[in-house]
Amino acid sequence: MTLRTAGRALRPAGRAAALAVAATAVVFTATELLPGDAGELRTAGRASDEDVAAERERLGLDRPAAVRYLDWLSGLIRGDLGHSLAGGKPVATLFAERLPATVVLVAAALAVTALLTATALTVAYLRGGRGGSAATGLAAVPQPVHAAVLGAVLAGLLGWLPPVSLLPPGGSPLADPRLLALPALTLALPSAAFATVLLRGALADTLRRPHVADARLRGLPAPLVLHRHVLPFLYAPALQVTALLAGGLVAGTALAETLFGYPGTGQLLVSAVAVRDVPVIQAAALLPAAVLLLGMLLADLAARRTTVPGGPGPSVATAGRTV
Amino acid sequence: MHQHPSPRSPLSRRSALTALAAVGALLLSACSGTPAADTPASRTGAPVDGGTLRYAVAGSPATASDDPHGGLGNESDVLRFALTYDVLTVPGEDGKTRPRLATSWKPNDAMDRWTLTLREDARFTDGTPVRAADVLYSLRRIGGKAAENYGRLADFDMAKSTAPDEHTVVLATRAPMADAPRALESVTFVVPEGTEDFSRPVPGSGPYRVERTSAQTTVLTRNDTWWGERPHLDRIEIQAVADPQARAGAVASGQADVAGSVSPAAVKSAGPSAKTQVVRRDGVTEYPFVMRLDTEPFDDPRVREAFRLAADREALVDTVFLGYGKVANDLPTPYDPSAPEDLPQRARDVKKAKELLAEAGHADGLSVTLHTTTSYPGMDTAATLYAQQLADIGVDAEVKVEPADTYWTAVYAKKAFYTGYYGGISFPDLVRVGLLSDSPTNETAWRSKSFDDGFARAMSTADEARREELLSGIQRELWKDGGYVVWGTGDGLDLAAPGVRGLPDGPGFQRMFIDQVWMAT
Repeated sequence: MTLRTAGRALRPAGRAAALAVAATAVVFTATELLPGDAGELRTAGRASDEDVAAERERLGLDRPAAVRYLDWLSGLIRGDLGHSLAGGKPVATLFAERLPATVVLVAAALAVTALLTATALTVAYLRGGRGGSAATGLAAVPQPVHAAVLGAVLAGLLGWLPPVSLLPPGGSPLADPRLLALPALTLALPSAAFATVLLRGALADTLRRPHVADARLRGLPAPLVLHRHVLPFLYAPALQVTALLAGGLVAGTALAETLFGYPGTGQLLVSAVAVRDVPVIQAAALLPAAVLLLGMLLADLAARRTTVPGGPGPSVATAGRTV
Repeated sequence: MHQHPSPRSPLSRRSALTALAAVGALLLSACSGTPAADTPASRTGAPVDGGTLRYAVAGSPATASDDPHGGLGNESDVLRFALTYDVLTVPGEDGKTRPRLATSWKPNDAMDRWTLTLREDARFTDGTPVRAADVLYSLRRIGGKAAENYGRLADFDMAKSTAPDEHTVVLATRAPMADAPRALESVTFVVPEGTEDFSRPVPGSGPYRVERTSAQTTVLTRNDTWWGERPHLDRIEIQAVADPQARAGAVASGQADVAGSVSPAAVKSAGPSAKTQVVRRDGVTEYPFVMRLDTEPFDDPRVREAFRLAADREALVDTVFLGYGKVANDLPTPYDPSAPEDLPQRARDVKKAKELLAEAGHADGLSVTLHTTTSYPGMDTAATLYAQQLADIGVDAEVKVEPADTYWTAVYAKKAFYTGYYGGISFPDLVRVGLLSDSPTNETAWRSKSFDDGFARAMSTADEARREELLSGIQRELWKDGGYVVWGTGDGLDLAAPGVRGLPDGPGFQRMFIDQVWMAT
């Protein structure tokens, strides 16, 4: 590998790292803007002003925001995520306990998303790239509604699935995959709809290309046209969409895990925001940002390798415009 | 027991849950139709030894803590502490203080020095005996964390407290404190002297010991060297679940045997009675409307009386607690043994209320803002319904639903008219925190010399009957003139699988001491 190609590979990596740090700065600022801080909220209105001040000092909250952020950042670079302001535990420990559960959940959700999206796109392909308003509609429905309807139907009415997803002590979520079903479906349904909306544009663009029409005129069977002439054009946008979705799914665990009592990092984030536990919020925000940016990076690198006959594949950006 | 509201969930999550609960309840009620029957966890029958109990209890991961002397914001932590550490005293089912690590206690004549005798057979799980020095160390540590734990032992002067021998502690109180043994109930978790690091398991002297912990679950096994009556269960698994609906769902689907503190709506929608039993704990939840006496228009006693007469208490209890509760009579702690029982029950009287408002110069109506939040289920409903009832007496009350996160720091004890919360606090505790002229959070701005004096006299009275009479006397003053509209109390509600027996249904943290629970086969 020459210096130049190494540089070319590193530049996006550097950009991704810079973006991840920028994301933490945004999250930090947003948390700062919320009323109240960890010191005050811990006392729940029952302490004197002196006690609150003492609590702030103990937690280091009496220092200016910029100093606290840079302190956190320097810790991050040293690999130290700090301690929870609410419970005092190391942030790394809190995440280590919960990360495996979230990884499994996101992986399951991504798999279901892929399956649903592929099915929807196949239907769209067979219909010549038309239709798909159902996907647009589903994508517009807020996630809590997906959770409510799925839970009420699959767990309530039909009784097929457990309504909550508590994990047995020390148990892996893989021990009883039924526990994964509701949170994974809650995450996957809107994200599959979103992916379908994004990729349908790319599919329609591809179907309009002359060589596809040509292949059809030559009388090639539909599956063969799909495999040889359509799919290669969809790999690159699909990878980009996957990266986008992975970040979104990690972020979406906040709601799904809380609603179903599933012990992952999303649940941790939600409860950390309520008590302004900044170090935990920062780490939790870094996670989806890192997944998204890493995914985008890999998708970019992969897209460079995937050269398709007939020019560069349509990007998500152009696909997005057709939505 | 003083249990304080702790804001737990952001608004966005709440509304998401409300959506889920609404749709869920709708569909479930459509299909099941039969409400859960209220069969109390029976104590009859011979207890069976053995088995594992899975207890889903309120617990939010961010506030989880291993330190038994801190904020105790998480019930899941309190449950674990209550089972793995000894405490000096515990509340009995009748609300009276029972011995635990302390076998007896005796005050001096001034009631400001309490001599506690400790058991001699208590041992930590590492084999060392529990000594007075450990007790004193633990209490001092709690005192030192006042900012974190709302000054839980602020009424004790720990610097002047001593441990004259291995099994005796003498506790000093800042003022005469006849209810000191009660103030030591439940939360005086004793750890070995010198313990500062709680990140790894600390030896306790309680009925259970920690076997292992993970993100959501702590597994406890019986401590066979515990001094007390041998617990029946071999293991207890504590599952920390933040959402009350999820806790209820865990029992309904067999993922847990007990769900602690669920909402009335969850009990209603829990499904057929054969699958669950409901434990009702009396007088646990209270959402009083709080009026500040130093702010217009509530500085006029006629306005306060009119506001109390406007309340349709039955309607509020039915709507907010779905019937799982009872009507109250404007006494802030009606469940306290000292609450007077001979006061006439205030009832809705629109005509009288209008007259009073007219006398107070509000014949043309009155506009007020009633603050509320969604921290606890039904707080917002209570305010909305009460505002409608106030409209009938010519009061235009605008309901403002504030974010749960900051309600207790920005609204509580600050605004002139808001929805409060009490979770079973004792009357003396409430007085010290909020009803004396110099109380730190005097939310109603209640300042009465005769009340202060009456309380001081009660707290230096050794005779229990006489003391309760004095406490009862100052509550009459509050009933007549105070800043509270206490329209009802809601039951604490736990759901349990049919086989679970002996669940505590007493007041306060008594529910956390589940060492005598057993499972019928």
